[in-house]
Amino acid sequence: MDSLTADHRVHRLVAPLVDPATYRAWTFFVAALPLGTVGFSWALVALGLGVASSFTLLGIPIVAVSVVGARWIARLARPLARWGLGAKLAEPAPLVHEPGLLGWMKAALTDSVGWRGLLYLVLMFPVGLVLSVLALTIAATAVLTPVLLVAPWVIRWIAVPMRWLAERLLAPLTLSERAARLRAGRQQVVDTAAGERRRIERDLHDGAQARLVALAMDLGMAKEKLATGRDPEHVEALVTTAHDEVKLALQELRELARGIHPAVLTDLGLDAALSAVAARCTVPVTMNVSVPVRPAPGIEQIAYFCVSELLVNVSRHSSASAASVDVLRTDGLLTIAVRDDGIGGARVWSGTGLSGLAERVEAVDGRFLVDSPMGGPTLVTVELPCGS
Amino acid sequence: MRIVIAEDSVVLREGLTRLLADAGHEIVAAMPDATGLVETVGDLAPEIAVVDVRMPPTHTDEGLRAAVQIRRQYPEIAVLVFSQYVEERYASELLAGSTKKIGYLLKDRVADVRDFLDAVDRVADGGTVLDPEVVTQIFSRSKRREALDALTPREREVLEAMAEGYSNAAIASRLVVSEGAVEKHVSNIFVKLGLAPSEGGHRRVRAVLTYLGV
Repeated sequence: MDSLTADHRVHRLVAPLVDPATYRAWTFFVAALPLGTVGFSWALVALGLGVASSFTLLGIPIVAVSVVGARWIARLARPLARWGLGAKLAEPAPLVHEPGLLGWMKAALTDSVGWRGLLYLVLMFPVGLVLSVLALTIAATAVLTPVLLVAPWVIRWIAVPMRWLAERLLAPLTLSERAARLRAGRQQVVDTAAGERRRIERDLHDGAQARLVALAMDLGMAKEKLATGRDPEHVEALVTTAHDEVKLALQELRELARGIHPAVLTDLGLDAALSAVAARCTVPVTMNVSVPVRPAPGIEQIAYFCVSELLVNVSRHSSASAASVDVLRTDGLLTIAVRDDGIGGARVWSGTGLSGLAERVEAVDGRFLVDSPMGGPTLVTVELPCGS
Repeated sequence: MRIVIAEDSVVLREGLTRLLADAGHEIVAAMPDATGLVETVGDLAPEIAVVDVRMPPTHTDEGLRAAVQIRRQYPEIAVLVFSQYVEERYASELLAGSTKKIGYLLKDRVADVRDFLDAVDRVADGGTVLDPEVVTQIFSRSKRREALDALTPREREVLEAMAEGYSNAAIASRLVVSEGAVEKHVSNIFVKLGLAPSEGGHRRVRAVLTYLGV
């Protein structure tokens, strides 16, 4: 019993020595210095130049460039921290900005990913200096048994705050930013829903309701004429018009109901519902849906409306000759990609259809990305969280 | 003809009963939901069952499920599925196996009484009736777009009418041309699409729909 426990203790003591994570952390310590050097130099030169010239008009663009540059260097730091420290880090979305140089500068100067990346890179210079000196010293003295036993523990302990730092400064969004975005998203969804109800009311009022009034009128006149027994040809004409009116009203009501919620989506899911959407698109659509397990109804509905709105845009604005839709469900994520070979130039501006979709997607903590250079092609990617 | 109706809306159920009885048919049962529909149809052995898709208790597609089951268990009984919406996917479920004695129509079509009664007769006689809107969906989803683009507008109209289940004589009277002209269009279409010539009726519908990818 005793010897077993002792054995167990020895195992625990040397465990970090044989754990590959220790060696990965050691490599990170060594690599932290060059990374910190590059980052610090960038900050010193670019940011320094920007601040120094801040009394001229050039200062602000230079600061913006330094933030965006830090974003790029941070892209290298992220895989390193993931591999070396086991940090859990998602890639941030590309910088979204309004058109023009001013829009770009505004986005760059308020880009939390870039600023935090810059801070991380600057910190990595002194921290990296200490870490790499430590790592190299350990390597040089590793022939000594006490060093061999203690050093792995030291490396593991130091790796913990390093991971914490990386996860705070290199993450796409801080927790409070995410909460703020969700809050804003929720408000927009409430507004969008109110707007939708107004639109439905207007469509009913201008469409089916008006047709039914006309129909009642025609039938009323026919009834009068029947009662008096005069003008039988006119009665027939009135009834024929009424008949046509009611058929149009039925068609309008059917389309309106489908716009509110397509029954086939509830019954058969995305594959069947989207296939009917593709059939109504004026541009030929290649549809590829791989959703073996159905997501929650709310997510399914957002996915459906994204694809159907995006295909309406393709029909109306893209001048495309072909489009494709790919819907794929992987662990916890529903990914939708809508492509067309049209003229491009689609932007997520407030008040447009695309921004409405982006709001709906962001309200459930999803992502909405538009890549549509002038001249095309256009790729819209939507990611929706859907549990696993 | 002896007919069973399954439709949850009272107004529509009574309307349909009135309309079909007025045309000289006998309504042997008019049911408000799909529960026990398959058994009732089995017991009463009508010539045709007219079935709504959405019905209680779940208000999804129980009518369609019942229709598929009736077709499997009692292939001699014709089924006309009658729905607020038409979906290509439902059409392919209904047509899986056989295109005989089956119809799939929008409820709106009842407004054209003569066409509707004609559709009931055609389905009961062993034919196929597909709503023009389903056929439009099938055409735009078809992977044979290039071959279809090679058809003249008139040939395309004839092909759509074939997919809807019309005979040459019916197509001729709809397009106001002679039956001979329709026959010529039909053989042109079959040559252009590389289809083996087939006799009329449900077999031809099957060939056309298979070609279009249903």
